[in-house]
Amino acid sequence: MISPRTLRNLRSELSRSLLAKLGIAILAVILFTAVFAPLLAPHDPTEQDLDNANIPPLGFTATENQTTSQMVDGEVQIVEEEVVVNTTVAHPLGTDSLGRDVLSRTMFGARTSLLVGLFGTSIAVVLGVTVGITAGYYGGRIDDALMRFADVMLAFPSLVLAIALIGLWGQASLRIPDPLVELGIASSEMPSDIVLPGTVIAVVALVNWVWFARVARGEALSVRDQEYVKAARSMGGSDLHVILRHVLPNSLTPILVLATIQVAAIILLESSLSFLGFSGAQLSWGFDIAQGRDYLSSSWWIATVPGLAIVAAVVGINLIGDWLRDALDPGIEGQGGAP
Amino acid sequence: MTDPLVTVDDLEKYYYENDTLLDRLTGAEREAVRAVDGVSFEVREGETLGVVGESGCGKSTLAETLMRLREPTGGSVTFDGDPVFDLSGTDMNAFRRRAQVMFQDPFSSLDPRMTAGEIITEPLAIHGVGTSGERRERAETLLDEVGLSADQIDRYPHEFSGGQRQRIGFARALAIDPEFIVLDEPVSALDVSVQAQVLNLLADMQAERDLTYLFIAHDLSVVRHISDRVAVMYLGEIVEIGPTEEIFEDPKHPYTKALLESVPRADTDERDRTVETIRGDVPSPRNPPSGCSFRTRCPELIQPPGLDLPQATFRGISEFRTRIENGDIDVDLRWEQVGDPDREDREAFVDSLREEAFDTELPDAEEETVSEAIRALADGDRETAAATLRERYRSPCEAIDPGLPAGEHPSACLLNEQPEDVETAREEWEADYEAPEAGASSR
Repeated sequence: MISPRTLRNLRSELSRSLLAKLGIAILAVILFTAVFAPLLAPHDPTEQDLDNANIPPLGFTATENQTTSQMVDGEVQIVEEEVVVNTTVAHPLGTDSLGRDVLSRTMFGARTSLLVGLFGTSIAVVLGVTVGITAGYYGGRIDDALMRFADVMLAFPSLVLAIALIGLWGQASLRIPDPLVELGIASSEMPSDIVLPGTVIAVVALVNWVWFARVARGEALSVRDQEYVKAARSMGGSDLHVILRHVLPNSLTPILVLATIQVAAIILLESSLSFLGFSGAQLSWGFDIAQGRDYLSSSWWIATVPGLAIVAAVVGINLIGDWLRDALDPGIEGQGGAP
Repeated sequence: MTDPLVTVDDLEKYYYENDTLLDRLTGAEREAVRAVDGVSFEVREGETLGVVGESGCGKSTLAETLMRLREPTGGSVTFDGDPVFDLSGTDMNAFRRRAQVMFQDPFSSLDPRMTAGEIITEPLAIHGVGTSGERRERAETLLDEVGLSADQIDRYPHEFSGGQRQRIGFARALAIDPEFIVLDEPVSALDVSVQAQVLNLLADMQAERDLTYLFIAHDLSVVRHISDRVAVMYLGEIVEIGPTEEIFEDPKHPYTKALLESVPRADTDERDRTVETIRGDVPSPRNPPSGCSFRTRCPELIQPPGLDLPQATFRGISEFRTRIENGDIDVDLRWEQVGDPDREDREAFVDSLREEAFDTELPDAEEETVSEAIRALADGDRETAAATLRERYRSPCEAIDPGLPAGEHPSACLLNEQPEDVETAREEWEADYEAPEAGASSR
């Protein structure tokens, strides 16, 4: 389905658009970090060091109220004093309330977020587009049945639905041994497994497929009345041919754009689930934000760093979505189609 | 005379409104929209049959039903001896190869995400003809043949002009070597100069490849240019069919005559010619007129036996009658205009309405009947008013549905030769009709 022509369009649009390059750069950095986290992270992200808790990132200072008891003249005196916490090069982005390295945690957290975001969106796209295009193309009873079901799904608040499903299925997750650690390339102190949160992926997909179904149905509805669909049928093209060759490609642009938005939404949903403690993930941006929330007034960086990571990921993916949209739609003059 | 390649027999395509499950449960009456209402004709091998008619007369539905892109609600189509609506499997595939369609809209008939080459080779790909290399070669040849160049094969539709796109659409229809092509208004979206080029291309290819065309259009000059025979459609029916020159030189059906009249001519006489266009709108196919479907707009309405009024007078009375029957005349408002709240001065009412409805004098007998009807109306008795007029002025056109007799140039009009059963029905109707004396019913 990807013709040389399409590739050429992608390339020419990329050379034209600074934002597309930026998006690719951001996502590349995040992907690279996620894959090579055990090599890049300075510390084991799960290692606690209570003596070095709440250290601020380099270049920032923080004070901490310290309560000490002293024996003065045979009496116990409680002294409160403000202590300046020193930053250290060992923890460039600081540590959290248990003394875990924030940089390392954010690096490892990218794995969970990206896995959930990409797998969850893919499943949601496949499911939603299949249902939506079937409903839109065939119409009638099939359409009614499928879309009423979709409406029912849509009527549930997504977070509630997700929590209910997790409650129903439990927190199944798959532990895949990390080849970097396994092969001894990375330090054996690093976590030895990549956790693939199966339930969370299934749940975010089930919560989000409806959006794809609705958009795909709308597109299929308008495409199926085009004369080129009639033409394909008059040539003897089967329903499958018409759907795969005409309806799907011509419905894809808004679905693609929606997918980039949904990747971001799914990363956020995963964060919410982790934040609420439902995902079972101990190493995720959302989980870290939840942890850091309690310390926002004193140790803002614990929640802010993973928060910035989420923002970067979402922005990067959206920029890539814009690039794909411009490059893949030859009908939009001057935007990426050939002159 | 050559053999027919396509025979259409009493083809019907009705759409139903109020036909959802809910409507059926609540017992709402389903309403038929008669897009194609019993059409019969044949397309002979190697000829071009033009189909003309106003927008909304069912031309495109006819084409799509004939190609089985829509399922018919009645009738049959035979293609080279095979019943098209009963085909399935390999036979249906064969039909899909032998018959192609070229569509009207140069923008939506080509998939914007496919290159010209992919578009042209699509029928070949669907039927698994040749390797992809061979198909590409074929597309290049076809591009040359339809007047584009082979190196445009990788361009997308939006890079072509309207005329060029129609050429690509035509190349696609030709790709699989069909015998029969339905051309659904192939040039109506194009500039006049481009139209001529595309029409010439169509004609050249037909001569070269022995193609049979069904050419649908609303532009008479285009149809005259390309067709061997012409069928004129009105409200889902064919009203006249015959050789092109005969249709244009000697039209038989009043609708055809009116259509031809409405074409402006480049002639010095044109200045003074009052163009007698067809009056009114096309009636809704939801509720077509009884009898002849053209009678509501017909300039040659047949008068009942014994009546011989000028056509304009008869039509004026008929239209007045239709207004009464449909309840389009507001009696209360009229009384107010007369200025007689007690509603006693009937003669003033008659004069007032008479003046409004007719701008000419009527013959005495008609004057009397019309006045009598208006008097009944003044009393608020619409039924009697309508009946009074109906009795004297009912036309065979509203009672008898004309048919299309056999022959080279038949027309569905009672003025012309009609099939035997229609003639019989008309004789019966006339025997039944007794011309009442003017104003008889009041005495």
